[in-house]
Amino acid sequence: MILAGGKVYPSAEQSRILAQLPERINETRAAQSLPCETVIDALDRMSRRIADGAFDAMLDDTMLRSQVQYAAKQLTRDALVYKVRTELGADWEAPVTSEQITVQMLPLGVILHIAAGNMDALPAWSVIEGLLTGNINLLKLPQADKGLTIQFFQALIEESPELRDFIYVFDTPSKDITGMQALAAVSDGIAVWGGDAAVGAVRQLAPIGCKLIEWGHRLGFCYISGTPSDAELTALASHILETRQLLCSSCQVIYLDTDDREQVTAFSERFLPYLEAVALQFPVTDPGAAAELTLRRYTEQLEAVIAGIPAKSRVFQGKFCSVTVCEDRDLELSGMYGNVLVKPLPRNELMRTLRRSKDYLQTAGLICADADRDALTDLLFRCGVNRVLPPGEMSAAFPGEPHDGDYPLRRYTRIVTKRSRPE
Amino acid sequence: MADTRQKLFLTKNPFDLTGTEPLFVRAMRENTAYHLAHCPEYRKIADAAGFSADQVQGIADLDKIPVLPTVLFKRHRLYSMPERRMAVRATSHGTKGKFSRIGLDWGSISAGFWMVLRMAKTRGLLSLRPVNYIILGYKPHRGNEMAVMKTAYGSTFLAPALHRTYALQFKDGGYVPDLEGVLQTLLRYAKQPHPVRFMGFPSYTWFLLQMLEQREIRVSLPPGSFIMLGGGWKQFYRERVEKETLYRLIQERLGVEESHIVEFFGAVEHPILYTDCPAHHFHVPVYSRVIIRDVRTLKPLPHGEMGLVNLLTPMIRAVPVTSVMTDDLGILHDGQECPCGCQAPWLEIIGRVGQRDIKTCAAGAADYLKGGTP
Repeated sequence: MILAGGKVYPSAEQSRILAQLPERINETRAAQSLPCETVIDALDRMSRRIADGAFDAMLDDTMLRSQVQYAAKQLTRDALVYKVRTELGADWEAPVTSEQITVQMLPLGVILHIAAGNMDALPAWSVIEGLLTGNINLLKLPQADKGLTIQFFQALIEESPELRDFIYVFDTPSKDITGMQALAAVSDGIAVWGGDAAVGAVRQLAPIGCKLIEWGHRLGFCYISGTPSDAELTALASHILETRQLLCSSCQVIYLDTDDREQVTAFSERFLPYLEAVALQFPVTDPGAAAELTLRRYTEQLEAVIAGIPAKSRVFQGKFCSVTVCEDRDLELSGMYGNVLVKPLPRNELMRTLRRSKDYLQTAGLICADADRDALTDLLFRCGVNRVLPPGEMSAAFPGEPHDGDYPLRRYTRIVTKRSRPE
Repeated sequence: MADTRQKLFLTKNPFDLTGTEPLFVRAMRENTAYHLAHCPEYRKIADAAGFSADQVQGIADLDKIPVLPTVLFKRHRLYSMPERRMAVRATSHGTKGKFSRIGLDWGSISAGFWMVLRMAKTRGLLSLRPVNYIILGYKPHRGNEMAVMKTAYGSTFLAPALHRTYALQFKDGGYVPDLEGVLQTLLRYAKQPHPVRFMGFPSYTWFLLQMLEQREIRVSLPPGSFIMLGGGWKQFYRERVEKETLYRLIQERLGVEESHIVEFFGAVEHPILYTDCPAHHFHVPVYSRVIIRDVRTLKPLPHGEMGLVNLLTPMIRAVPVTSVMTDDLGILHDGQECPCGCQAPWLEIIGRVGQRDIKTCAAGAADYLKGGTP
């Protein structure tokens, strides 16, 4: 399905709509502007409809009622005003003049959003950020989208018909290169969410000069120096299981500030019961995920036997979870779903190790003595980490929080200047 | 001793699992002994597990045989005889250049010949009446060692071929699909009195049927025509259709009854020809056994429970594929659960291991919208 000008069309009409797209966009750019207030007002009304259950039938069962309420809260006037003010400043739409030079923040223009399919609300959220900054938004739906996004935007346009010419949704498959190129060709910026493959594909696709706004994969870790308390270990275990290690901010690797393998093994043995206690409350029952991990480990084991080397890791298996003691220091994806890696990493090796993974850094949990906290936090920032938090808050969200070291709304705008006419 | 294998593959009733049990166990014992003696890597794996061939004394001992994941054949060349002694080499049509290299020895070729005849007979595919073939797959080409191509080509000998046409043509160093060409040939075949046989990927069959539907074309293929499906859905999961829809379309657009639609299942690492029964279930034939294993512990599971699919056969000596673990998840059902009357248990493939792509840096967006925990 395709959404254009507030109307829904079948996918088969894509070529016709794409052919008319440049001209339609030019007309909108020439004659219309989208004030932030209009968008906030429309979203605020939508938030009430979401809270009242207007979309519940479309949501899959895994999405809890509390999460729907949370999503609704993010779209209220208060939350949106706070976000816009934090990221762009108050009165950001107003021009500023100093010594006859006027500077003004304007929308980037046309933004193509290529959203990942694994979060129901992500495609819509990406477009909302584009709308708040007054842009014309072209959304390429992920294949997994079951119609929720189009339904949401149709309802939003009902609330506020002025938004009609600022939202286009396409279900073009990524493999349709011609279609994707047509979308990229009219865009001033491309916001892409996804893994290395998705980001790489967009770099191939984007016209030179088109601004790339990449929200790629990240790998989270927890750094532990000294002996953690029971409460800290419980908080870390809860974080690991509650996020299923699926978020960019989720902890994949626990690094210990030591070079002593015995200590790494001792820690792993101590941590397993904490992890298991939480795992039994939130068991991961998906057999496909468990099977993949089992098969991967089994293959590694056989390969070690063939190569005649001892296994490079040792697994402490718990119920619905595991802790793997590793010899290496690489920041890597764990088995996820409660299967965490533990590695030695003395602090004097932090910089060298983390720089090797510089493109994947985002969140670090930090457990250490109070006296060390400032120094270690500073060191982690210098390595390239953007968020340093207590283990239980690694994936927590804060209003107006930057994303991957950036305020997203700023990336969806541009700044223009003009000389004021002499008096 | 090689006779045990040949005897097993000469069995008249391909679903007499109980009657052939001692033969199967003996053939498995001989086969593992052969690989232990000829494949050093296999030997190392067996030694590490404390396995020796004489441990295989009864059907209950089959789960002790070292299980090799199919991915191992993609990363390593595991051979039990030099390549020059192999009769045929075949590769899986894996994506991204990763494929298994499997060889067949002469003994397995002759065993396989009997197997194909027996299995084809169960669905009435053996015929002396000449037919026209539409291969919705690869046209043979020097250098193409893909097993699916060989199977498809091989299937055109079950009944004498008048003519063969291929959906994937080799052009300028690569394969390109030509469904339009196939459609034109189909219209020509439909006017002839000879039966037509389709063989190939279900996804291409589906695309072709969609073309017929869009152009509002219906043909009525001559009696005795068959639609054979095999080779999996591969990259076309998005177009995956319910079997019932596919059968209905075949009946509607090609005029072929459901009883004349036959699906095959097999893997390059387990080249046993599974042929579905009239109820479209894959009963385990005498040449093969299936063990479903727990997704966490790899322990064997009873019938009716879902787990990793472990396939066993004594067919091949060239490579140690005696017991392989696929990356499929499946269930083994009791034979009685199928209305067709065949007592052999049947294998249902549920899906593939793995999870959805790691949730992307959705830290911000996900948390804003979903409250922090997905």
